[in-house]
Amino acid sequence: MTDSASALPAGLQWLLRLVRTKELALFFSILVVIGTTAALDSSHAYVRFPGRVLKDNCRRLAPLGILALGATVVIIAGGIDLSLGSVAALSGTLCASLILALGGERFDTDAGVGAGVLSVAIGASLLLGLIIGTLHTWMITSLELPPFIVTLGSLVGLRSFARALCYYMTGRFRDSSSEDLPFSDPLLEPLNNDVWISMLLMVVLAAVTWLVLSRTVLGRHLYALGGNEQAARLSGVRTENIKWFAYSFSAICASLAGVIYIAENGAKPSTQAGGYELTAIAAAVVGGCSLQGGIGTIPGTILGAIFLRAIVDAVARIIKTASDIYEGMIVGIVVVLAVTFAQLRQFQRSGRQLFPGLLGLAAIPCLALACSLVMLITIGTGTGAVAGVATLALLVIWKAAEMRRTSRVV
Amino acid sequence: MDAPIISIQHVTKRFPGVVALEDVTLDVRAGELHAICGENGAGKSTLMKILSGVLTEYDGELLLAGKPVRFKGTRDAESAGVSIIHQELNLVEQLSAAANIFLGREIRGWFVFRDDRAMEQAAARLLKELECEIDPRQTAGSLRVGDQQLIEIAKALSLQSDILIMDEPTSALTEAEVSRLYRVIERLRKRGVTILYISHKMDEVFHLADRITVLRDGRLVKTLDAKATSPRETTHLMVGREIEAVDFGGERQAGEVLLKIQNLSLPWPGHARGWRLKDVSFELRRGEVLGIAGLMGAGRTELLECLFGAAVEPPQGRIELLGKPVLFRHPREACAAGIALVTEDRKRLGLFPAMNVGENISICTLQRTGVAGFISRGRERREASETVKRLNVKTAGLASAITSLSGGNQQKCILGRWLQTEPRVLLLDDPTRGVDVGAKAELYRLIDALVRPASAVGNVLRGVPTGGDVPARVSAVGNALRGVPAGGIGVIMTSSELPELLTVCDRILVLSEGRLTAAFHRSEATEHKIMEAAMLGSRKAS
Repeated sequence: MTDSASALPAGLQWLLRLVRTKELALFFSILVVIGTTAALDSSHAYVRFPGRVLKDNCRRLAPLGILALGATVVIIAGGIDLSLGSVAALSGTLCASLILALGGERFDTDAGVGAGVLSVAIGASLLLGLIIGTLHTWMITSLELPPFIVTLGSLVGLRSFARALCYYMTGRFRDSSSEDLPFSDPLLEPLNNDVWISMLLMVVLAAVTWLVLSRTVLGRHLYALGGNEQAARLSGVRTENIKWFAYSFSAICASLAGVIYIAENGAKPSTQAGGYELTAIAAAVVGGCSLQGGIGTIPGTILGAIFLRAIVDAVARIIKTASDIYEGMIVGIVVVLAVTFAQLRQFQRSGRQLFPGLLGLAAIPCLALACSLVMLITIGTGTGAVAGVATLALLVIWKAAEMRRTSRVV
Repeated sequence: MDAPIISIQHVTKRFPGVVALEDVTLDVRAGELHAICGENGAGKSTLMKILSGVLTEYDGELLLAGKPVRFKGTRDAESAGVSIIHQELNLVEQLSAAANIFLGREIRGWFVFRDDRAMEQAAARLLKELECEIDPRQTAGSLRVGDQQLIEIAKALSLQSDILIMDEPTSALTEAEVSRLYRVIERLRKRGVTILYISHKMDEVFHLADRITVLRDGRLVKTLDAKATSPRETTHLMVGREIEAVDFGGERQAGEVLLKIQNLSLPWPGHARGWRLKDVSFELRRGEVLGIAGLMGAGRTELLECLFGAAVEPPQGRIELLGKPVLFRHPREACAAGIALVTEDRKRLGLFPAMNVGENISICTLQRTGVAGFISRGRERREASETVKRLNVKTAGLASAITSLSGGNQQKCILGRWLQTEPRVLLLDDPTRGVDVGAKAELYRLIDALVRPASAVGNVLRGVPTGGDVPARVSAVGNALRGVPAGGIGVIMTSSELPELLTVCDRILVLSEGRLTAAFHRSEATEHKIMEAAMLGSRKAS
């Protein structure tokens, strides 16, 4: 550390370290997105009912944030967990099924199944997370399978297993088999109605995870494992145990999110949390995690999750009709752009080109075409044509500038 | 005389934290065999990487046959007629010999299909010319290192290269393979190929070279005519004065037996040899430095890994630490028992590139300093900065990136990491690889200080040369002893450089193909004797 930095008061230093430039940039991006939405939204929801907007967004943010925490820990440890959404669906279904099986007559009544049954059901779903995490780690460390394959198997398999479980349990304990298990319970209701409970859960979990990552030996070992697994093992780190923690933690996070999801309207294993594993990973990556492992922070991930939530909300408020169709498209573009911007400075420093050689040349019309198609279907034919031509012209100029720069070097 | 075929003009190459080459200017004449000599880290490989288009960013100019060129990649260099044979061969092990020779320039047959037959025939012709009796359809991975190297040479021939760079080509060869390589080189020279030959083995260089260029610490020291110089002079130029100035004072006092290894074997399933190590027995005493010599693949690294509980398979045999039999199943257990290993491949097995200097130093001792799983950051920082001071690490601070340090300083950080664990036995696997000469001498002094009991410090200090920053060196050596058991520790060290082992070690064991073939006391060991013992197994095999 340089002398000038240590001369600052400790509190300010702490604040500076907490909000390093990357996180600060993300924070301002969030403000920009919110500001833009407030300005462009024709019904001015952000200005007229800020409370309701905040509540709506927090309801979606809390479980996503919890999933992203799990994804972050695994990514920092140098792995990947693609199964989070399916684990959430399965755990939610298990929780609902147990409430159905143990609650008997009192299932889906105003009286509710009672705190005892509920805690058993929730405890069992968290335990299920631990079991899944343990199996993942065993397959990764003992069978030496790549984490991508192992969790891809879970992603596909556990979703189907959740549906089968729902089908079996409803057939066994209700009149007919069903793919859904809708119910409400007075004790679970607050988790849905009062979003602050789930937000509090997320914030507390984030704080604990942040403490573990930044202040404990376990946390340092997670970063070491992700940064260089071989070196970590040769430094005496029990890498299998650290992996066990990472994958179990992420699966338990997913289970917790699953419980929050069923509080809303019961279990719907065919759709619940579908594709959310990728959103969670996207939040972590936008927040500064490196998929190579060893790099990432919890404040970054939480900001990343908020950023993605703000984007999705912006799309919904600005486009209004059938906005969910465009949601994935815009989130996809934004994630790629965010990570590209994070690397731009590196490109500038090393003098590397964005469009090198033949591949770069081929990418230019492809990008222009993509841009024009996106504009065409969202706004209109005219805009699409103009956007396509404009993009093409801009990128050609960029490429020409890059070529001139390199030819001057040679 | 003609214009030089290669002319390197004022080339400078900087890596973060180090200047690998500084203002090097060198002419190579057409058709000559020009040897480039220098210690590890002298800049030989960097220079060759620039010549062959591997490194594309540098200051200065490169002229081929009088024309300035700037390669954008290895393909540019190849089409200009420059081929390189790297020390670590660049073959796709799953592909056949023929496919490797024509990789990227496959012979096309009908329509878009490859003509494998034509490539195999052409490969067979090239290989025959090189006295290489292998089937071109054999996969590259199944061949011996010497044959693999000939595949690379065949590739260069098929490219019609008139400039061939060979980076330490004999480091993994048996004697028979070396003499075959010499004959191949002779034949290439008759064809008019210019060869740049990188080596630090004097007998080879003087056997082959017309002219010799010596590099040291990234600078060109001198270009000599091979006939007008001697191995002695060249070595002197290569090493400089620094290492010769190292004087370790009197004989070290060996104490009680720390480690006793009996019939240690490490199986190698699926390999023709069947074992990586076979019936290795030796002892390590407190207060001595034990050297392990051997060619590449002789089992040096595997031996240290067995002692550290990091072997790929569980080893057989008996390991006793201070009289008690031990079996480490994980490096963690070895750490706890007081054994430390500084690995050979720093980048792959030692460094955490995303972590800073302080975090890299403290990684092994976090548990000890913390409470209830939490890291005591004050204590972590204090101990790390003490280590930085004690080992004289040149860094801007504990928060700087480890990758911004030079190789020698990175190595000191890793050594410091392990010294913080207060080991009884320190295993060093080629500790000076990629370390510059100055830092090397410092490491030697440090190793010497570690094995001596505290009372002998005075002798060590008297041996410190007067050149350079004496007070800093003295305090570095004195401080190094803090936290080390009073009787000194035992060190086992491997090295690919024999002079290094001869300077630092009290005894030298020689491994050949996994067997212990000789053991020498420092007084009786010579480079020649060690090399003979190191080749023993391989000669039998070939």
